[in-house]
Amino acid sequence: MGPWGFVGLAYGIVWGVILIYWYCLKRRYRAAAEELARLDAEETSRKHG
Amino acid sequence: MTILRQTYLVLRKDLLLELRRRDSLLTMFFFGTLLLFVFNFSFDLAPDKVAAMAPALLWLAFLFTGTLGLAQLFQAERENHCLDALLLSPLDRGALFLAKTLFNFILMLLVEIVVIPLFWILFNLPSWNLLPQLFLVTLLGTVGFCVLGTILSAVTLRARARELLLPLVLFPLMIPVILATIRCMENVMRTGMIGDALPWLRLLLGFDVIFLTVGVLIFDRVVEA
Amino acid sequence: MASNHQPRKKRKGILGALALVAIAIGQYWNLAVVPPDAYQGEVQRIMYLHLPSILTAYLSYFLVFIGSGMYLWKREKRDDLLAHSAAELGVLFTALTIIEGSIWGKPTWGVWWTWDARLTLTAVLLLIYTGYLMLRSLIEDENRAASAAAVVGIIGFLDIPLIHMSVYWWRTLHQPPSILRPDKAPWENVHPAMLTALVISFVGFLLLYFYLLSLRYRVGEMREEIKQRRLERGR
Repeated sequence: MGPWGFVGLAYGIVWGVILIYWYCLKRRYRAAAEELARLDAEETSRKHG
Repeated sequence: MTILRQTYLVLRKDLLLELRRRDSLLTMFFFGTLLLFVFNFSFDLAPDKVAAMAPALLWLAFLFTGTLGLAQLFQAERENHCLDALLLSPLDRGALFLAKTLFNFILMLLVEIVVIPLFWILFNLPSWNLLPQLFLVTLLGTVGFCVLGTILSAVTLRARARELLLPLVLFPLMIPVILATIRCMENVMRTGMIGDALPWLRLLLGFDVIFLTVGVLIFDRVVEA
Repeated sequence: MASNHQPRKKRKGILGALALVAIAIGQYWNLAVVPPDAYQGEVQRIMYLHLPSILTAYLSYFLVFIGSGMYLWKREKRDDLLAHSAAELGVLFTALTIIEGSIWGKPTWGVWWTWDARLTLTAVLLLIYTGYLMLRSLIEDENRAASAAAVVGIIGFLDIPLIHMSVYWWRTLHQPPSILRPDKAPWENVHPAMLTALVISFVGFLLLYFYLLSLRYRVGEMREEIKQRRLERGR
């Protein structure tokens, strides 16, 4: 593997991993936000219901 | 009541308990010795190599034996809500920390007093005259182990997989002690005195002092009912 | 309820965008603008990732230390949240540092791994803070887990200089240096173009780090709020 091969490997892995982590984080974020919104909605409906 | 007196009282209680049942002490003795045998079968402990490997092997043995002791450290307090009782009393947490650390230290010391000469006999090492200095170095290393070990033992008291978690967290933190103690012992065995390894000795002392202080200051945050 | 989060969400978005821009510029700079190193050749470009990665990891561990200390002192959940988030990111960047170091090592030294001071030290850091995360997950009671983690967070950080010294001394054959010394200070005999690349890269990493940290922290906050609400409704 030539020198650019190693460079590519390193850069590829680093940004790949960071991308995956960011994506997973976003998913957790969305899930939590949806759950909160759901709880919000239930509360408002209970208060008015 | 001063901290020292409180420390003494708790320590005395643990020592008396241990004296009567000798659970921890005997298991640690036996385990330490057993490890020496296992090492003999695992490594090629030819006479010319043993002296070079002695510090490392001894310290490996003490690390694992000490971990056994740590797992037992708060065992008495876990039964019958004794820990809650201790914490409700006006006992200074720093004293509890010192007492437990000292207790584990004494146990390990007793094991080391037996295992080190035993090692020398089993593997026909010369240089019996160096044992006092080696022992001193081991002592300092043991202090470091007991200090961090006690803190972590208390912290993981109610964790799942505690027996695995404790070494997992402890051993990486112990690396300065492991390196320093073994380097000092190697130097003593090679040259008969600490000599070049003095910086290591200072590192070891620094480690002991720093974490002893941290332990005393932080222990009330560590144990909670 | 949603309204006071909107500006914060927007700030996060801006931060993320800034990070992306800085990183994009950085990568272009690292790969196209900077000349290859006289001795190491193209492979040296990996260093523009490696150094910022480890510095970011250290920053992270410092934040773990601060969060842990504050939590033990004031017992406020948000400090614990900071510590936990920073630990997670710290492990991420440490793992990346090791991978980068290993990949750099293969063409440079011929081996994927060697027990030299830098790699060993980074591996130890990974072990310590992975232990931190495992500790948290293995203690059932939330408050105990937070306290336990905080203790490890403090002890771990205080231990770092000691581990640093002992590993470097171990790897230097004869006279142990008497002061803490980094492997290589980046501003000594470094070509200005390389220095620029390092700085740009580091800025990008910093922005990225704080962006990810703010995301992770918010996730923790939301989860905490969800738990609180569920508890209240249970009543």
